[in-house]
Amino acid sequence: MTEHNLDVLVIGGGPGGYTAAIRASQLGLSVGLAEKAELGGVCLNWGCIPTKTLLHAADVFREAKSAKALGLDIGKPKFDLKKVVKRSRDVAGQLSGGISHLMRKNKITVFAGDAFITDKHTVMVNDDVIIADNIILATGASARNLPHISVDGDRIWDARSAMTPKFMPKKLLIIGAGAIGVEFASFYNTMGASVTLVEVMDQILPAEDAEIAELAKQSFSNQGIEVLTGTGVESVEVGKKHLTANIAGESRKFDACILSVGVSGNTEELGLEALGVEIERGFICVDEYLQTSVDGIYAVGDVAGAPCLAHKASHEATIAVESIAGRMPHPVIKERIPGCTYSHPQVASIGLSEAEAASRGEIKVGKFPLLANGKAVAIHDTDGMVKTIFDANTGALLGAHLIGPGVTEMIQGFAVAMGLETTGEALMDIIFPHPTLSEAMHESVLSAYDRTINF
Amino acid sequence: MPKEIYLVKVGMSMTEGMVSEWFIPDGGQVNKGDMVYALETEKVNLDVDSEYSGTVKHLVEVGLTLEPGDVVGYIFEAGEAIPDDLVIRGSAAEPAVTPEPAAAVPAPVAAPVAAVSTPAPTPVASIASTGADGRLKSSPAARRLASELGVDYTQLQGTGPGGRIVEADVQAAKDSGGAVQHLQVVPAGVEPKASPLAKRIAAERGIDLRQVRGTGPGGRIVQADVAQLQVVAAGAGSSKPGLSGPQAGERLPVKGMRKTIASRMHHSLQNSAQLTMNMEANMDDAVKMRTGLVEEWAADGVKPTYTDFVIKAVAKALELHPMMNSQFLGDEILLMGEINIGMAVALPEGLVVPVIRNVNKLSFKELARESSRLAVAAREGQLGLDDYAGGTFTVSALGMYGVDTFTPIINEPQSGIMGVNRIYDGLDWDGETPVKTKKMNMSLTWDHRAVDGAPAAEYLVEVQKFLQAPYRLLV
Repeated sequence: MTEHNLDVLVIGGGPGGYTAAIRASQLGLSVGLAEKAELGGVCLNWGCIPTKTLLHAADVFREAKSAKALGLDIGKPKFDLKKVVKRSRDVAGQLSGGISHLMRKNKITVFAGDAFITDKHTVMVNDDVIIADNIILATGASARNLPHISVDGDRIWDARSAMTPKFMPKKLLIIGAGAIGVEFASFYNTMGASVTLVEVMDQILPAEDAEIAELAKQSFSNQGIEVLTGTGVESVEVGKKHLTANIAGESRKFDACILSVGVSGNTEELGLEALGVEIERGFICVDEYLQTSVDGIYAVGDVAGAPCLAHKASHEATIAVESIAGRMPHPVIKERIPGCTYSHPQVASIGLSEAEAASRGEIKVGKFPLLANGKAVAIHDTDGMVKTIFDANTGALLGAHLIGPGVTEMIQGFAVAMGLETTGEALMDIIFPHPTLSEAMHESVLSAYDRTINF
Repeated sequence: MPKEIYLVKVGMSMTEGMVSEWFIPDGGQVNKGDMVYALETEKVNLDVDSEYSGTVKHLVEVGLTLEPGDVVGYIFEAGEAIPDDLVIRGSAAEPAVTPEPAAAVPAPVAAPVAAVSTPAPTPVASIASTGADGRLKSSPAARRLASELGVDYTQLQGTGPGGRIVEADVQAAKDSGGAVQHLQVVPAGVEPKASPLAKRIAAERGIDLRQVRGTGPGGRIVQADVAQLQVVAAGAGSSKPGLSGPQAGERLPVKGMRKTIASRMHHSLQNSAQLTMNMEANMDDAVKMRTGLVEEWAADGVKPTYTDFVIKAVAKALELHPMMNSQFLGDEILLMGEINIGMAVALPEGLVVPVIRNVNKLSFKELARESSRLAVAAREGQLGLDDYAGGTFTVSALGMYGVDTFTPIINEPQSGIMGVNRIYDGLDWDGETPVKTKKMNMSLTWDHRAVDGAPAAEYLVEVQKFLQAPYRLLV
């Protein structure tokens, strides 16, 4: 048994946890981090990064397939699934190694193993006893299961098996059309699978603006993805060569199925119940500075509730640590957290949807289609639009919703504008460079004020 | 030969004052042009420069009430013999005995020293040294740095002479990150840092951003700050925690500005026949006109407030009703030749009323510029005595706090004061149809000794007419 005394112990080494540890170290606090698996968490090892690597391969493959339209002749593009997956794993491994380096550089003690909180200041990790003034829970979330369909990793996949496929399914069923389901649908469709995407809600990407979600659905359909909304999958039975799914009363055969029906917080086996940490619907309850119902215990990122996004986790981590250090951080404003989906076309958004905004007061809505954007035409990718929503009285930017090429890189412009509380008037005054896709952002704002030039 | 350091006289009406702080310690070196002590009078706080270089010897402690012209210390040139029996006067516990000047002290020095002992010592020395008089001791450079770094210097413990907050304290606070706060010191003529959205909302609601505490990064005023102000204005009225200031259970000495305000307000109520009446004005056109002018004059850095509208309307109406612009002197009523409007400005340490002179002769734009200058100067403690002089009527605004009506107290010896209340969404009737209309109450307090109710009401109607047809304020 070794005893350690620390100012802060962070449990979980994902984007929330490792950011918390580094920020604590920067502020002169003694800090340790407990991680039961790989540093970098799901995001880096089994989420954002490996899937973006796969999707990049798919993007290049798609462009190669359409090279003829640009006047290029590069023959018939082919791919080696094993190598595509291997690169994805290599990238994850490389970045995870980078986190280890950051831990050493910031003098953060890493405890490898399962953490258990015995009292509000004591955490056990294997033989180590850590006495900490503050505990930050950054344990992340895990994929939800459906009671009647269980992941076997063989033909019924969770996200983890879906990003390390041993074979390329000819016919693929995806249950759940949130960001994860949609991204896999886009990847496998591009790589040649025949994909059926089933969503129980009335729209795919249920967190997005309805109009944008509808545009995405149309685009996916045009690419050959079968999209079924308002539809449930009643059962999935695994046979020897196939699995049989019962969808809306119809029995259909698939080679594989991906279950992507959301996540719930990792709150189990930490000792939280005994401490009296309040948990609601699978997520830990926190105040605006991320403190739980128990003094000195904080929770950040996925385990502290939706939206389950890495950038929300790292931002919350900073707020929690600065609060511990006696700084006066600004609480996170949830309406200013951007969200990105890396399908083709990409979807990115921030703030209120049109329906939410309209329910709160008078609004101005601007829309600009990429069809009218010179750069989009030049790069042969005009499928998309930029939609902006303003408060009609104050000019406050309430929401921005983008679909199309490059929008996941563009959304930050609206995040900055919103963070700095820029009004529509001020945004119209900004000079956007030509020729760029981002001009569509400007035109969308102009459109909200009936001043659009190029459409 | 040692040079006297005098208690300087600022303005004709100054009758007493005190050294509220020595910037150069007793026996310390001063260079010509350095600040040597802080002067505090009823109305003005002023840092006094040294006209000479040399060694400073104190003759009074901080907090001792003196008359202007009294000698508070000496400056000895290099090489001059400094007598070791100079006595520092001031502590209340000490008897007011002046020892004979030592032979070594040159003759001219003796007389001023004796003069120092004439006023009765006031028991404030201990308070002044701790700074509990409410005046924050901080160097201008420290305040400037605090503004730049976004540090709330009011929360700091000063390490300079007499606990004065100096640049190093601000820098240290910034470095440690502890007291990083969100207070802006906004210099004259400079717009405070605010997000475009906050500016827009403030403009719409007539909120003066210079009075808003920014909580955004670097003290930037953000939407939430302006929205919060609205909540306070709506009557939530909870005091913000964490602000420095008087605490429950404390006893605060009544002195300086507080003492003056107390005696003047009480005297005014006891010695005149003042009463208040209220009248509503339709502000639809004034709101529109202000919105237009704010935009039109933005390039010139001029931003008219609703109070400016009232000040101009009050002055225009006084031209037509000279009895309201008068002083009741017992056996005669003096009708004032000029129309000089005092505007009440709230400071943490109390109320001041700088005066805009000849308002009836100023263009509206000139008026807006002048009122803005005075408001900023007031908050920075940079009003000269002349800025206070000659008021003939006063305007006091509480509208920004959501106040709907109040009874302002006449600023003697004037005969009237106009209270400006909030602008709210009221109703007018267009036949049988209710129409949403911007409304504002005016609260006129006047002295019944000089003016009866009917003419006072006529005056108030006149002001109302001007506000309801605000283009008349421009011509």
